[in-house]
Amino acid sequence: MFWEMLKGALVRQSRKMFMVAITIALGVSLTTAMLNVMLDVGDKVNRELKAYGANITVIPRAASVLRDVYGIEASSGKTGQYLQEADVGKLKTIFWANNIVAFSPLLETKATVGSDDITVVGTWFNRQLELPTGEVVETGIKELKSWWTVEGNWINDADIKGAMVGSTLARKLNLHIGDSVEIALPGGTQREALTVQGIFNSGGAEDDQIFVTLPFVQQGLNLPGKIGKIEVSAITTPENELARKAAHDPKSLSLKEWETWYCTAYVSSIAYQIEEAVGDSRAKPVRQVAESEGTILQKTQLLMLLITGLSLAGSALGISNLLMANIMERSREFGLLKALGATDRDVLLLTLTEIMTTGLVGGIAGYFLGLGFAQIIGHNVFGTAVAINGMVIPWVIISVILITLVGSLPAMRMLLSLRPAAVLHGR
Amino acid sequence: MTKYSMYTKMIWNALLRRRSRMLIALLAVAIGATVVSGLVTIYYDVPRQMGREFRSYGANLLLTPAGDQQVMTQNLVANATTLLPSDKLIGIAPYLYDRIKLNEQPFLVAGTHFQAVKKVSPYWQIRGEWPVDQSEDIVIGAEVAERLEIEPGQQVTLAVAGNETEKKVKVAGILRTGGSEENFIFLDLSLLQQMLKKEGVISIAQVSITANEAELNTLTQQIGEQVPGVAPRLVKQVTQSEQTVLGKLQALVYLVTIVVLLLTLICVATTMMAVVTERRKEIGLKKALGAENRSIIFEFLGEGLALGALGGLLGTVLGFFFAQAVSVNVFGRMISFQPLIALLALVVSIAVTGLACLIPVKIATEVEPAIVLRGE
Repeated sequence: MFWEMLKGALVRQSRKMFMVAITIALGVSLTTAMLNVMLDVGDKVNRELKAYGANITVIPRAASVLRDVYGIEASSGKTGQYLQEADVGKLKTIFWANNIVAFSPLLETKATVGSDDITVVGTWFNRQLELPTGEVVETGIKELKSWWTVEGNWINDADIKGAMVGSTLARKLNLHIGDSVEIALPGGTQREALTVQGIFNSGGAEDDQIFVTLPFVQQGLNLPGKIGKIEVSAITTPENELARKAAHDPKSLSLKEWETWYCTAYVSSIAYQIEEAVGDSRAKPVRQVAESEGTILQKTQLLMLLITGLSLAGSALGISNLLMANIMERSREFGLLKALGATDRDVLLLTLTEIMTTGLVGGIAGYFLGLGFAQIIGHNVFGTAVAINGMVIPWVIISVILITLVGSLPAMRMLLSLRPAAVLHGR
Repeated sequence: MTKYSMYTKMIWNALLRRRSRMLIALLAVAIGATVVSGLVTIYYDVPRQMGREFRSYGANLLLTPAGDQQVMTQNLVANATTLLPSDKLIGIAPYLYDRIKLNEQPFLVAGTHFQAVKKVSPYWQIRGEWPVDQSEDIVIGAEVAERLEIEPGQQVTLAVAGNETEKKVKVAGILRTGGSEENFIFLDLSLLQQMLKKEGVISIAQVSITANEAELNTLTQQIGEQVPGVAPRLVKQVTQSEQTVLGKLQALVYLVTIVVLLLTLICVATTMMAVVTERRKEIGLKKALGAENRSIIFEFLGEGLALGALGGLLGTVLGFFFAQAVSVNVFGRMISFQPLIALLALVVSIAVTGLACLIPVKIATEVEPAIVLRGE
C-alpha cells in the first residue's frame, strides 16, 4: 500500500517533482563543480606561478670555498668545482620528482666579443632527457624561463653554432638575427663565429648575456660533462613553522616531524632531497619565489573556499525553499490522508521517502552535470582538465541528505500541525 | 484613481494574507540577490586585492642612472617619485653598491634604508634581528656569514679601501634569500655614503607599486621623459607573470560567478513558479468573476515586482556584507560599496522574479475557469 501510494504521488505530481529534482540537480552540480575546482585550484595556480621562474638553485658544494680562496672576483668559469651533467637526470628520481616542473643546467663564463667582456652561458634549450627509469622528459630554459619574449627562434640543442643574445647586449653590439658574432672563450686562442638565432628580452640581468648550447662552452673551456649550476622550478607546498625549523637544520627535528617534513613538498624538503640525489651539491631555495608562492596560493584557496561556501549555502536554501513550497501546496492532500486515519508517522514517512527518491535522482544527475561544469571552468581558465576528486562524492551525498532533510524540516512541522478539518474545508 | 488604489490594495493583501508562502518567495529572491551582489563585488575586487598580494614578489620597477653613469643623485629619484601615484606605491628602496672590507676581507656592500626594504622585499628572511633605526648595525648575507663564521650579535670591523678609518659595528642579522643578496653586506645608506664620501648619491632604486603592465609602461615613459638622468626599467619577470596569473585568477572567479549566477537564477525561478502555480484556483475564480487576462497578468506582475524589489534590496545588503567578510578574511582589507553593482543586483532580481511569475500565470490564464474551480 505504501509503495502504491508513493508511486501514485510521484507519478501524479510528476511535473512538480520534476521541478524539485531539477533544483536539487542544479544545487548538487554546483556543489560538485565548486568542490572539484576548489580542491584542484591550488595545483593549477601553482603551475601558473611557475612563470616566476626557478625556485631552487643547485650549486656545487665547493663553490663557496672557491670564492673564499679567490675572493669575490673568482668567476666560476675559470677554475674550481663543478656539478656533473650526467647527474642532472637524477633530479627526476627524488621522492617529489613529479613536482619538479622544469630544470636546466647552466655553465657560465666570461668571454670577449670584439673588445667587450661579456658573460656567455651554456645551457639546455629544449632537451629530450632520458631518465634512468626509461622515461623521457622534455626540459630546458624554454620551459624554465617562460616569460622571455624571443624575437627570432629558440635554438635547437644540436645547433652548436647557434646563439641567443640578450636584448640590451644586442642593441649595444648592434646585432640582428642572422648576424654572426665572434666569441673568444678564455683559454681558447681562436675566435668562434656563432650565428644569432634569436634575441630575447628577459627584463633581468640575462639581457646583457649570450646564451649558447652547453657543449659549446664545455668544449671551449675544456670541461667536458661539467656544469656550473642547475636551476629548478618545483611545485611546492606553502611553508609553515615546521618547514622553517627544518630549513634551518633538518637534524633538529624529531623522527616523526622529520618524516612529515620529508614527505611534504616543502621547498626545503625538495631542496634537501636534491642534495641527497645529486652528488656534492648544495640546493638553495630562492626565497623570493618560494615565500610569495605560498602567500598567493593560500589567499586563492581561501577565496575559493569562501565562494564555495556561499554557493553551497545559496543552493541549500534554494532547495529547502522549494521543498517547503511544494509541501505547503499539498496540505489539502495530507489533510485528507489524515482525515482518512493516517497517523503523523505515516504521512511523514510518505513525504520523506518521496523527497528522498526525488533527491536521489536529482543528485545523481547533478553530480555528472557538476563534473561537466568543473571541466568547462578548467579548460577555459587553465587550459587543462580539472582533476576529478573522489573525495567529493561522499561530501555531495552528505550534503544532499542534509539539505533535503533540513530543508523539509519546517514543512514537516507544518504537516504535523495540520488540522484535517480546517484544511479540507479550505480555510 | 480608484482603479489604482484597488490595484495596490489587492497586491498588498495578496502579499500579507499569504504570509508564509510569500516569505518563502522573498527568501528565495533575497538569496539570489545576495549571491549576485556578493560574487560580482568579489569579481571586481579580486584583481585589486590580489595585485597587492603579488607585491610580495618584490620590486616591479627599477630606477637606474641613465646612460653610462654609475650613480645618480637622490634628488633625481625624489623627482621621479613625485610622478608615481602615492596611493598605489608600496615602497621605494634606494641602494648604493660598492666594495668594502669586512674583517680585512673584500666584499660587496649595499647601503639602503632597512624600513623601505622591509616593504619592497618582504621575502627577506633574517636570522637574528633587523637593525634598529638610526643605529649603525648591519645585516650580512648568509654566504658571507658562513665564510667568516659570523653569528648575529657579533662585532665586526668595516673599512673602506683608500681610507684608513675603521668602524666597529654590530651584525644585527643574517640574510637568507637564496639569491645574490646572500653575497652582500647591507648597512644604512647614509652611513655608507659617509664612509665612501659619496653623499647624496645612489646606484639604483627599487620600486614596488600596485599597477598592471600597461600602467607601468605609461609610468616608465613619463619618468623617462620628465626626469632626465633616470632610466626607469620594468622587472619583466615580475610584471609579466603577475599579469598572466592575475588574468587567470580573474577568469576563474568570472566563470564561477557565471555558473553560480545561472544556477541561483534557475532556483529563484523554480521557487517563484511553484508559488504561483499553486494559485491556479485563485486565477480561475478571478476569471469567473469577470477579470480579464490582462488585468490578472498585471496583478501578478505587480506582486512579482514588489517581491523582487524587496528581496533584491535585502540581498544586496547581505551580499555586500558577504563580500566584505571575504575581503577582510582573505586579504585583511575593507572594500568600498559599489552603487553600480547594487543597482545591477536589484535590477536582475526584479527582472528574474517578474519573469518567473509571468510564465505560470500565462499558462494559468489559458485554463477554463470552470475546470480549475471544479478541482483539476
